[in-house]
Amino acid sequence: MVSSISLSIDSDLDKVSLLARAVRALCEDLLSPDDQDAVELSLVEAINNVIKHGYHGERGKDVQVAVGLQADQVMIEVIDHAPPMPTQVLDNASEDRFDFDETDLADIPEGGMGLALIRMNMDEVEYHSSESENRLRMVKRIAPLSR
Amino acid sequence: MLSTDLRDNVLVVRVEEKRIDASKAPKFKDEITRCIEAGQNQIVLDLSQVDFIDSSGLGALVTCLKRLGPKGSLAVAGATGAVSRLFTLTRMDRVFALHPNVDTAVEQLSA
Repeated sequence: MVSSISLSIDSDLDKVSLLARAVRALCEDLLSPDDQDAVELSLVEAINNVIKHGYHGERGKDVQVAVGLQADQVMIEVIDHAPPMPTQVLDNASEDRFDFDETDLADIPEGGMGLALIRMNMDEVEYHSSESENRLRMVKRIAPLSR
Repeated sequence: MLSTDLRDNVLVVRVEEKRIDASKAPKFKDEITRCIEAGQNQIVLDLSQVDFIDSSGLGALVTCLKRLGPKGSLAVAGATGAVSRLFTLTRMDRVFALHPNVDTAVEQLSA
């Protein structure tokens, strides 16, 4: 079984939840509730990054999401036409972001957590830029026992 | 977005939204900041109605905590599912005391 669908929204933070809920619903029969949470969060973080950092909050730009549902994995690509993100930003994103000193208020992060969360919640994360577009490809594998 | 209730000198702030995401985080932060500037420094945030929070929402909470300063307390009550999972995943459960419900949180803060 392979089926795929493309969805798109305007680069407006108010619209992100609509898309996230739609994609979550698509994954409902394939993923456990925890994994649906993981996918929804990763997608929201990815789109927020595109709108906030790629398009600098400007509305009227296109954000596309391609979802591929397969027997063993859910693949989600977030496609934008903003200036590309430097590759080291994704390379450096890891759970180390949350290795802060909780006794030091100044050390607790207020932002810059999105990519680390995506990395922690998805099984594969890749970023490709070409002249025409950027693609963040995220894969969640379907655990055999989660069905 | 928020409703508030003062109990034993603890301000209970109930979030009346299902999602705290990047579109809501700025307003959320402003409204809680207003409570802090009005002099409240013991705050319980009731998240029992919230079923999704992203890193912007979580970041807004951290900003509020920093504004409260070391003398204030910001406790979280009623976080479940994806919300409680985000606190654990980001290790923010070390920063915010998580309570099963408002009563327990208020009891703890007013003690």
